[in-house]
Amino acid sequence: MNEPGHEQQSAPGKPGEVETTGHVWDGDLREYNNPLPRWWLWSFYATVVFSLIYWLLYPAWPIAGTYTKGVAWINYEVEGEPQRSHWNSRALLLRDMQTGDAAVRQREFLQVIAEADHDTVLSDTDMLAFVNSYARGIFGDFCAACHQTGGAGIIGLYPNLADDNWHWGGTIQAIEQTITRGRMGYMPPYRETFDDQQADAVAAYVLSLAGHEGGDPEQVSLGGAIFQGYEGGCYACHGREGLGLKSQGAPNLTNDIWQNIDVTGAQSHAERQALVRDLILRGVQREMPAFGDRLSPAEIRVLATYVHQLGGGL
Amino acid sequence: MAQTPSADVDRSRTQVAPSEQYNYDIVKKFAIMSIVWGVLGMGVGVWIASQLAFPFLNFDIPQITFGRFRPVHTTLVIFGFGGNALFATSYYIVQRTCQARLYGPKLAEFTFWGWNLAVALGVITYMLGYTQGREYAEFTWQIDLLITVVWVAYFLVYLMTLLRRSQPHIYVANWFFMAFILATAILHIFNNLAIPVSLFSLESYSLFSGVQDAMTQWWYGHNAVGFFLTAAFLGMMYYFVPKQAGRPIYSYRLSIVHFWALVFLYMWVGAHHLHWTALPDWVSTLAATFSILLLLPSWGGMINGIMTLSGAWHKLRTDPIMLFLITSLSFYGMATFEGPMMSLKSVNALSHYTDWTVGHVHSGALGWVAMITFGSMYHLIPRLWDTQLYSIRLVYVHFFLATIGIVLYITAMWVAGIGQGLMLRAFDEYGNLSYTFIETVVFLHQPYVVRALGGGLFLAGMLLMAYNIYKTIEPVRREAARQVASGRTETTASASRA
Repeated sequence: MNEPGHEQQSAPGKPGEVETTGHVWDGDLREYNNPLPRWWLWSFYATVVFSLIYWLLYPAWPIAGTYTKGVAWINYEVEGEPQRSHWNSRALLLRDMQTGDAAVRQREFLQVIAEADHDTVLSDTDMLAFVNSYARGIFGDFCAACHQTGGAGIIGLYPNLADDNWHWGGTIQAIEQTITRGRMGYMPPYRETFDDQQADAVAAYVLSLAGHEGGDPEQVSLGGAIFQGYEGGCYACHGREGLGLKSQGAPNLTNDIWQNIDVTGAQSHAERQALVRDLILRGVQREMPAFGDRLSPAEIRVLATYVHQLGGGL
Repeated sequence: MAQTPSADVDRSRTQVAPSEQYNYDIVKKFAIMSIVWGVLGMGVGVWIASQLAFPFLNFDIPQITFGRFRPVHTTLVIFGFGGNALFATSYYIVQRTCQARLYGPKLAEFTFWGWNLAVALGVITYMLGYTQGREYAEFTWQIDLLITVVWVAYFLVYLMTLLRRSQPHIYVANWFFMAFILATAILHIFNNLAIPVSLFSLESYSLFSGVQDAMTQWWYGHNAVGFFLTAAFLGMMYYFVPKQAGRPIYSYRLSIVHFWALVFLYMWVGAHHLHWTALPDWVSTLAATFSILLLLPSWGGMINGIMTLSGAWHKLRTDPIMLFLITSLSFYGMATFEGPMMSLKSVNALSHYTDWTVGHVHSGALGWVAMITFGSMYHLIPRLWDTQLYSIRLVYVHFFLATIGIVLYITAMWVAGIGQGLMLRAFDEYGNLSYTFIETVVFLHQPYVVRALGGGLFLAGMLLMAYNIYKTIEPVRREAARQVASGRTETTASASRA
């Protein structure tokens, strides 16, 4: 059974419907012999025409070690000299960067800013608006991974840029320096230097500098002696008054702003004292990478102006 | 197994029961494994989709992080679910349409164990962190060798069965399967040419480097889509659609023309995955134009499938299996229109590296590949076990879960992909980029949630199918076991159920 043969009735169709090819498989599988749908065929031809035109315009077919170049020319410049080349993605990028709308607008602003001094930029509404629009993007792509989108940082990991407390200086020049060269924040660990009693005392003194009352007066005075004396030598970086030293990145200890430990979040004086003591014992080592080889001077200036405005201050 | 002599002998329309005339045992095994891997693969898919929406789901456990689970997902669904479905249906179709028993039962058995071992080993090695780093070909070199041997065996079994045919003409479905087997062999071998670091190392170095390596990868990658996920499933379509519709194929001529156009054109288009990279511009052009040329040949299959139902449209109202088959063809048509559009350089500049690509892949993978497989399995499985589906109503529910799932998935990815693409190229009035990269990522969260939801619905449908199939097969197996136990060798039970 199921010998191939012409079927007459088994594939019922409307009058005028085409016949099957006559082949039968698996009992009832047959095929009509309908012609190719007209619309299908013409659409296919249309894609052929489309492709032919495409090949005529753009680089397409490899021939004898080279390839057909196409006639969609691209005009651009190399060092001021006009150039013309067949369509290719490098030339396209050059042309876009040289004559594209956005690229031209951005370049004009950047040139002005690169030549202007900081105060001019800060006082010119237009320039400032450009700075904020441009820097928001670079800050998001280069800085926000650590300092977070709004620049608030993370206590214990990355400094807060959105307040007016600056370890290394908050002027635009200082921030430019920070971005260009990077920074190494370092406080030596006092694990080997202090015993428990001394560490507790210095912690109590440091908290008193920041205005936290409730420390044991004896501890505070002993801590002050260590801080200001040869034994601790803390004053060398943090200063006699505890106001910090920007050239060393040493923070001000009197303003109750804490970047490495969450003192203000602590519940009791004892808890606060333990936080400070542990920090003194373990020290601090932080690094911000240099961006001088990743961002252009104009970009760094824009970014520094933006970061400066986040928190203000010096 | 279920190969006990059955009462089919007294059926009047055949001399011998199909289950005796043909090797159904091997088809059953592949069909079952297809469903097993399908449930696992889609489950992992929903999991990684959820990880993208809610990253805490990585739980900092390396073995289940997105990076390792992603190839686990693709391998399970493409090679586990899709591969086993193709083995099952191709072994079924080649026997039925050639009216010949499958050649080399031992060899066929080897393809089953070898293939599924490869899938299992692949998944385990990825989770342990071993990968070749080639998309859809992450298998380490030892597994690649195993696959090569399995594939040669598959080729032999298939070809020798074709040669045994008692029909002078080779049915169209078999052309597609043959093209799939041949092309996949070539793709697999050349893409995986690599030098192992040492005999006992899982690591290897690709034989190609730089842009040539990327070209080889995507020549493979896209033709895996073209031959594994398209040509082979068209083979499935060319059998199960006319079978289920009870109608002849619409046009023999169209099937010839679109078959040759398809297999010729597909081989050229892989480079459209590499637009705007270090690829030579002329290669990009050829890939783009051949993708456009591929549109109508792809649609040839859709037309032939859908027009086969012409004159029997009412079946869509009563037959959920037909719904699966025809809907799959509609998604196939949509995906094969979207693909050529995305391969145009200007569109690609927007779509590349965004979730639009992911959405496109899934409108093909869920809409076309999975739906045609579901329809085919619902047709195939009752016939293999000589029984009836446990529940047609559940097939309906599966259909609607799957369709709504796909629609949610695709639209979420359009929003995510086109949205992110537009955000990445948006400039403000100063000529600056309007958005940071992270802002475009934040934007993706909601579409990602919707995508995970869509995937969840699709998975729910798959679980229903597994349940339905289990309830379909289980009574037959229990009956067979009971017969063996009671020592009776013949009964009318299965015949009366049929």
